[in-house]
Amino acid sequence: MKRFWKDFAQGDSWVKGSCLVMGLGCIKRGQIVKGLMYLAAEVLFFLFFFGFGWKYLSHLLTLGENAQLKVWNEDLQIYQRVPGDNSMLILLFSVLTVAVTVIFICLWVINLKSASHLYQLEKAGKEIPSLRQDASSLLNDRFHITLLSAPMTTLILFTVLPIIFMILIAFTNFDANHQPPGNLFTWTGMQNVTDIFLGNETKTRTFMGILGWTIVWAIFATFTNYIFGMILAIIINNKLVRLKKMWRTWFMIPIAIPQFVSLLLISRALEPPGAINVALMKLGWIKTPLPFLTDVTLSRIVVIVINMWIGIPYTMMTFSGVLMNVPEELYESASIDGAGPIRRFMSITLPYMIFVTAPATITTFVGNINNFNVIYLLTAGGPASLDYYQAGKTDLLVTWLYKLTVDQHDYALASTIGIFIFMIVSVCSLTVYNRTGAVKKEDMFQ
Amino acid sequence: MKKLFAVLLAVILCCTAFAAFADDITLKVWDGQDDQELLKELCEAYAAAHPENNYTFQYGVVGTADASARYLEDPAAAADVFVYPDDQLIRLAMADALYEVTRNHDEIVAANSQGSVNAATYKGTLLGYPMTADNGYFLFYDKSVLTEEDVKTLDGILAAAEKAGKQFNFDVANGWYLASFFLGNGCTITLDEDGKQVCDFNNEKGLEAAKAVAALCAHPAFLPGDQNILTGTIGDTVCAGVCGTWVADAIKERLGDNYAAAKLPTFTVNGEQVQMGSFGGCKILGVNTQSAYPIEAMNLAEFLTSEESQLRRFEVRGYGPSNINAAKSEAIASDPALSALAAQSDYAVTQLIIGDFWTPATAFGNALIADPTVDIQPLLDQWVAQTIGQ
Amino acid sequence: MKKHTNMRKLRTSICLHTLLTVLSILWMLPVFWLLISSFRKEPGAYTPYLWPKAFTFDNYTRLFTDTRLFNFPRWFMNTLFVAVCCCVITTILTLMVAYVYSRLRFKSRKAIMNICLILGMFPGFMSMIAIYHFMKAIGLDQTLLALILVYSGGAALNYYIAKGFFDTIPKSLDEAATLDGASRHTIFWKIILPNSKPIVVNTAINAFIAPWVDFIFVSVIMKDNYNNYTVAKGLYTMVDKANIYQYYTVFCAGSVVVAVPIVLLFIRLQKYYVAGVTGGATKG
Repeated sequence: MKRFWKDFAQGDSWVKGSCLVMGLGCIKRGQIVKGLMYLAAEVLFFLFFFGFGWKYLSHLLTLGENAQLKVWNEDLQIYQRVPGDNSMLILLFSVLTVAVTVIFICLWVINLKSASHLYQLEKAGKEIPSLRQDASSLLNDRFHITLLSAPMTTLILFTVLPIIFMILIAFTNFDANHQPPGNLFTWTGMQNVTDIFLGNETKTRTFMGILGWTIVWAIFATFTNYIFGMILAIIINNKLVRLKKMWRTWFMIPIAIPQFVSLLLISRALEPPGAINVALMKLGWIKTPLPFLTDVTLSRIVVIVINMWIGIPYTMMTFSGVLMNVPEELYESASIDGAGPIRRFMSITLPYMIFVTAPATITTFVGNINNFNVIYLLTAGGPASLDYYQAGKTDLLVTWLYKLTVDQHDYALASTIGIFIFMIVSVCSLTVYNRTGAVKKEDMFQ
Repeated sequence: MKKLFAVLLAVILCCTAFAAFADDITLKVWDGQDDQELLKELCEAYAAAHPENNYTFQYGVVGTADASARYLEDPAAAADVFVYPDDQLIRLAMADALYEVTRNHDEIVAANSQGSVNAATYKGTLLGYPMTADNGYFLFYDKSVLTEEDVKTLDGILAAAEKAGKQFNFDVANGWYLASFFLGNGCTITLDEDGKQVCDFNNEKGLEAAKAVAALCAHPAFLPGDQNILTGTIGDTVCAGVCGTWVADAIKERLGDNYAAAKLPTFTVNGEQVQMGSFGGCKILGVNTQSAYPIEAMNLAEFLTSEESQLRRFEVRGYGPSNINAAKSEAIASDPALSALAAQSDYAVTQLIIGDFWTPATAFGNALIADPTVDIQPLLDQWVAQTIGQ
Repeated sequence: MKKHTNMRKLRTSICLHTLLTVLSILWMLPVFWLLISSFRKEPGAYTPYLWPKAFTFDNYTRLFTDTRLFNFPRWFMNTLFVAVCCCVITTILTLMVAYVYSRLRFKSRKAIMNICLILGMFPGFMSMIAIYHFMKAIGLDQTLLALILVYSGGAALNYYIAKGFFDTIPKSLDEAATLDGASRHTIFWKIILPNSKPIVVNTAINAFIAPWVDFIFVSVIMKDNYNNYTVAKGLYTMVDKANIYQYYTVFCAGSVVVAVPIVLLFIRLQKYYVAGVTGGATKG
């Protein structure tokens, strides 16, 4: 930073002029195209900022002052509407404008840097890199910039900005009663957070209850799949089993059916007069239908079991892949010691499988915390509970959040919960990821 | 500030003035998937009747159940004219989504049944054009199993069903149907003058009603489950069930000549028979406040809900009209489902619910299905507390 | 002694095969149920008996010929178009990102990796409102292009498995190529990609399948424009309260039509898929 200022202060008037007219320094030193690109970026930015961004940004502090008005129109005999400010668009496009401004400032600094750099080069009598040289460096030394630019642009536009927007929503009162464009919403500070944890007993109870079940669910859903998937893979890969490929295919067909179809079918079959109950009664195993979807414990067991139906094929395939690739050296060293098949498995195959699949397991665990499909399509969070606020006993945080957004239009509360999920999940997984062997030893095989 | 306001107003007036002279008018209209063809037919008829403007219609597939949700996602992109059920009226009104019916107000009120006008009114203002009056519920039954006498009382239905080895389906886990016991026994759920939710389902009357629900749940001939269960089983293992006109075709197909419908039965409270209440339902055409052509949109809405359009809608889709003259037509009076609905309408109330009523209602219903002997009062208290937002 | 071992082997083998048969029947039951429902003649979402009274092929013919209300063929083509585009774009973007993290070393690499990791954990549908309005601002709302952008926009977040795979490709290959004067650009296209078939296939399959099964994002983006629906959203409207009785069996038929290509893909590319899932870690 210091060096940057020093270089800049030493620069000639072209360098300093680049402050106002971007690209001036480049144009002077012969990098005409690059300079013009800087200039074009500047012009575009100001057009964007004053033509579009400012009319939203200027209202950011209040999120709009003028509500939609009704005015009686005698000629037409109607209450004409005078459009007011749209709080949501103000917030959304303010976020966009700020982001574009930040990027522009970065570009501006880069422009100054390159201007002073070129000045230094000229002063030292060195050659100024041509456009061709710049371009080829983008394919080599600075290849990461070329490769990352497209994915990062879409990432910022479709993931980062929307997330910032949703986080900001948590500090407003955007709900069913404050729906733009008919109404305005505004900043309410930490109101939603205190509401969940201090203000509203039902909401606190709901949050804590659902959080608890979410964790229990994630643990069960992950490890049942892990253990049974492993066993299944071991069975299929046993030397005595014929037609290995056919067996694997059988188990893979169910996962090719879209989950919203298979789970809808299963949830219908689980209803009191549904196929499963009918079949069980015909077999004479039960007399009255089992309340699969209305009993708390039973419905929780049901979602875990059905999740095994969905998840085991995936883990089976993973483990099949691992089993087929256990390095021979490991066995060779073990058979010298005269180990039997069971000991061989326990001391070589198993530890190796656990080691290799560790990263995938963490991903699955995180995926299960946010496992929307299985819960929403199977039980829709039910059985609904009178203890909870708009939630049922199999609801995960993520399905509760979805219901609050889509059914209740309670965006502010949903965003607040979203932030909490986000914090819990990201802290857990960052710690674990960065401690697993796979990450630490990423350079091991290279 | 005032000046800015005046300028804005002037601009808008100019715009509408121009719009009035303009030839090309594009209107977007929403209706459900299977109503699209009729909608197109009627809109084209409207365009033909108004050659002074050049109409282009855009048709969006948004069923009534999703209307308010779709509308609120992006009001500016929503239809100019859209169908919504009366239970979404308050949510839409709070979002200032609907134009007041001010043009031809008196004629519209006079032409439509009182119940449908009430259903389209919020805080004394008519916020839409009543289109159908058939969105309520009533009893479907199998004539070969139950007599007209049996279906008058719940006990009669259950007794006859049990005797025939059949079942009676009622969706206890849905607050909309569940409320009929409470409404019938004199409980209310409504809004007070400040627009806040009031509900007294947990008083003595409510407890009596809930006990009747528990008794129903404990009966061997009772089958819980939603409309899919009813349409899948009626005529087979089930001989009667409560639902609305939208399943009438399916049930007619299954029962054939044994198809019959009636108002809801009475149920027993302390040895006396009490008539079950219900929520009367209407479908209403609303005009979007974000519309660029409000006058044309209103005219179209009026046309789509006129007597002729409502009759045509009954002919093609079997929807019960809200228009008084249309409802008098012979074909409609002889339709079993619509006449059952008309009989029930004397006991139906307008649905005025903004609180969190539905999810706890489901929880309450499920609790009774799971265990009819459960201690009811605390459950009722929790339900009401959530509904009125305590 | 030997005979004894053979007998034991035979018994184990029979046990294992019986177990596998039972399990695969359990797994195939819902699939089978879907199939018979799609051929069921009686309409409705529910029947009190298990085996249909009559079978028909009508549900399939209705799906493709009765397009007045549900334009399944059009939705199918929409989905195919979106899926192919997504498949190409997502695969390229993901592999680019994974390559960068695996091979190139630059300032703030670790930080960007961690940020990408946690961004992927934010519930996606929360951001849909914002994305819809961005799309609207640039005039892309309710278009297939918007859908493609949404599905492939988050590609940079799913680098993890592909990066693990690239990590196992020996660096000596790169070094040899660099000595021969190849740029990083050339190395990526000429050396890394040809050696990564499993991971390319794996990423591509996942990207291809996503548009067929998502019904949430497509509702937010398309809203009332049902000509641009994908099959998932279209099928989902068939089981609406108003349509379910008439269209349930057609819905099942549609689901089968959607599932068949995916099943074939899975079977055909099983080998690569398995290698891909394990992220090349097996090569260690």
